[in-house]
Amino acid sequence: MNNTLLTITISLLFGIGTFLMLRRDIIKVIIGLSVLSHAVNLLIVSTGIFDGTKVPIITGSGHEGEASGIIFNDNLADGVLAPVVSASTHVDFVDPLVQALVLTAIVISLATTAFILILAYRIYEEYGTTDIRELRRLWG
Amino acid sequence: MDSFNAITVAIFLPFIFAGLIPVMEKLLKQRVGWFAAATALASFILIGLAAPEVLGEGHIVQGSISWIPSAGVNFAIYADGLAMLIGFIASGIGVLIMSYSNGYMSQKEDLKRYYQYLLLFMGSMIGMVFSANTIQLFIFWELTSITSFMLIGYWRHKPESIYGATKSLLITAAGGLAMLAGFLLLRTITGSFDLAAILSDPQVINAVKEHELFLITLILILIGAAAKSAQGPFYIWLPNAMEAPTPVSAFLHSATMVKAGIYLVARIHPIFSGTDAWFILVSGIGILTMLVAGFLAFRQTDIKGILAYSTISQLAYMMTMYGYTTHHEPGIGVAAATFHLLNHATFKACLFLVAGIVAHEAATRDIRKLGGLRREMPITFIVASIAALSMAGVPPLNGFLSKEMFYESSLEMGALLGGGFTFLIPACAVLGGVFTFAYSIKLIDGIFLGERSKEHLPEHIHEPPLTMLIPPAFLALLVIVFGLVPSLPVHTIIEPTVSGILLETAHLHVKLWHGFTTSLMMTIVTFILGILIYFRYDRIAALQDNFNARFPWISVNYYYDDAVDSAKGRAFKFSTITQPGNIKYYMTAMLLLMITVVAIPVITLATNIVPSTLNFDIAPYEAILLLLLIVAALASAVLPKYLPSIIALSALGYGVSLLFIYLKAPDLALTQVLVETLSTIIFLLAITKIPQKYREKIPKSVLFRDLAISLAVAASVFVVLLNATQGIVAPFESLSHYFIENSLPLAGGHNIVNVIIVDFRGYDTLGEISVLCLAALGVYNLIHSRGEEQ
Repeated sequence: MNNTLLTITISLLFGIGTFLMLRRDIIKVIIGLSVLSHAVNLLIVSTGIFDGTKVPIITGSGHEGEASGIIFNDNLADGVLAPVVSASTHVDFVDPLVQALVLTAIVISLATTAFILILAYRIYEEYGTTDIRELRRLWG
Repeated sequence: MDSFNAITVAIFLPFIFAGLIPVMEKLLKQRVGWFAAATALASFILIGLAAPEVLGEGHIVQGSISWIPSAGVNFAIYADGLAMLIGFIASGIGVLIMSYSNGYMSQKEDLKRYYQYLLLFMGSMIGMVFSANTIQLFIFWELTSITSFMLIGYWRHKPESIYGATKSLLITAAGGLAMLAGFLLLRTITGSFDLAAILSDPQVINAVKEHELFLITLILILIGAAAKSAQGPFYIWLPNAMEAPTPVSAFLHSATMVKAGIYLVARIHPIFSGTDAWFILVSGIGILTMLVAGFLAFRQTDIKGILAYSTISQLAYMMTMYGYTTHHEPGIGVAAATFHLLNHATFKACLFLVAGIVAHEAATRDIRKLGGLRREMPITFIVASIAALSMAGVPPLNGFLSKEMFYESSLEMGALLGGGFTFLIPACAVLGGVFTFAYSIKLIDGIFLGERSKEHLPEHIHEPPLTMLIPPAFLALLVIVFGLVPSLPVHTIIEPTVSGILLETAHLHVKLWHGFTTSLMMTIVTFILGILIYFRYDRIAALQDNFNARFPWISVNYYYDDAVDSAKGRAFKFSTITQPGNIKYYMTAMLLLMITVVAIPVITLATNIVPSTLNFDIAPYEAILLLLLIVAALASAVLPKYLPSIIALSALGYGVSLLFIYLKAPDLALTQVLVETLSTIIFLLAITKIPQKYREKIPKSVLFRDLAISLAVAASVFVVLLNATQGIVAPFESLSHYFIENSLPLAGGHNIVNVIIVDFRGYDTLGEISVLCLAALGVYNLIHSRGEEQ
């Protein structure tokens, strides 16, 4: 199970991100979006410890077997050249899938942050304000 | 090329060449229409390549290409006489229409779009009639609806075009959906989407007729057919579709697309006919529509309006004839209906093209302003007269022959039913013929005969250019040839078609002179009554206008407009409530949703809100890191100035990357460091350009409210996360086991996360890259748009 202090930290990040998202200043809203995306990423990764605690990287060539759970059957006579995992193997990695998902999410959040910042910049150029309520008034 | 390949190419050639139109337009400029016409000719010839086998030897060409075999959906072709007939009409009239358009369409118009849509339509129409698979048929069917929508709305600046286009799409596409539901039911009954398989097995057909879902299946499919062919209450879209350019009306809304419903009725004829339901539904709708539309044509003042109502009424003839059926004689009117289908395509397309010529040269389509054009446009006058007299059923033209056959089959059907029907059905047929006769004469009289109006018409009116004159003249020639030598079309195409519909070899004998029969008497009665009614034409029209003004609710349009307007009003009200525009409302809605769908279920499932066992076992450096994260996040929220706030945010980001190491995620840590660096730079760049003019002063009440919301979010995330990691929900079989076990054997990678990203879930990464590209393009365009304005 997760560390309770980590859980508290993630929850607080959610709270702070929400508070910032409710502000009237666009820049503050964007900062809030960043905080919130950090919180979501951490939340997903923190749920990934499902089987064990090892970093999801297979170490060694696998010849040792017990170190990675991977057994190489380099038997040319059988025509098997690939490493195989025996059915009984228990591999105690943390969940690599959530990490892959979050990795994608981090990069995408960079793209959206960049886009939304430039959008804010253009809005400021056009209307001379970053106050959302003032903008609504100007748009009518 | 064998027949299957020829037909497949004929279907897809227009689609491919439609894609080439923009290139050809650059090369050919305004002559691009000839390229489109050549494409139609190519399709015509390709279909013709299959003619010896299908029409000559009487084979049914079949073949399929695997498409979605798991769902029983294939690209399959079923080419019998019926498919060939409509395939020839669609591509043949296509050639004439696209040639004619070269003269009709002004060079200032967007010709690219026009010919693209026309070709797309033609391909869809050919694809539809040759479909052996109901799903494939449905797709092409809806494609014809969509291209029709595009063409009716071709002049986008005219509100009438938009109204007509929307109306046609709403009605025909909704009908198409009903038809799809019917096809799905048909599959439930027969277990197949394959029409060829159903048609070739008499046992399956019998099973359909005895099935309890028979009636509802039939009704659903017929709704589709009626909506497409403007029958029954669905007729209202066709008059408004006349906003399309006239060649489009001639092509889609008289000769081809509106025949799709008739085609469908003919196609399912072997499956459903021979039952009472078939006669009541198909002939019932047909007779009603024929009489009502024929009658309503009187009050039209636009010549295209008259033609639209006459099309509805003529399509209803075919419906009626296909509906004539008894248990022993399933297809009484099939031959007559099929012959009329061909004849109607020739004379009605011709009349529409003439209407286009008149509008082009005289600058009006109002029959009250037109008149006396016979001297200035003698050739057009002759061509129009041939077509209109054929429609009126005057010998020796082809319309006379199919009208006679209509009367004959009506007599036969009436006699077979017995009782009052012996007279009622032929009487209805004659009445329909009388109306047709009257408005056909009105067209000729109103445009070409009588006095020429000086004030409404331009001073000099002359014959159109040859590009516009030859297509209708050619059709008029066909009208005469089919009338004088009926055995020519009957033996080459009508017989194979009728055989295809009745599923048995048919032999027809159509002669111009067949003695003094009862049907000839009926024709003579039709002419006499028609002339009598014609003398009261204007009085009847005025009567209709009065009646309609007094009782607006009698019109189907009244209900359509009412439904559409109230739907618009409700959608507007709904969107003002759900889309108020203020970001706070959206935020509140999302947070409430999160609390109701995530927090509340988890809390209900968990026995304790806070589990009894908590884990405070932590290394000191980790505790410091967590504290740092909280402080940084708080600082980014509390610090009022942008710069310190952003520095705090980037401290938070780097802290998160450290935390990823603690969470056993080295790849994430690396990525986070890189991304955080970049995003800090972008933030700083942005705020150097955005001076902080505005600083929010948060009133106490707002502060408390926002704090309460934030705390609620934090608390629910806390509870959810605590319980989720305790396994209160039975865990699913994790996908990750597969990735862990196969990372090295299948992908040869030691780093499992990397293998997932670039290999197992490579498409996700492709999506991610696309997002980056789009964001980059967006940023570029945002900055670029500023440059243009300055």
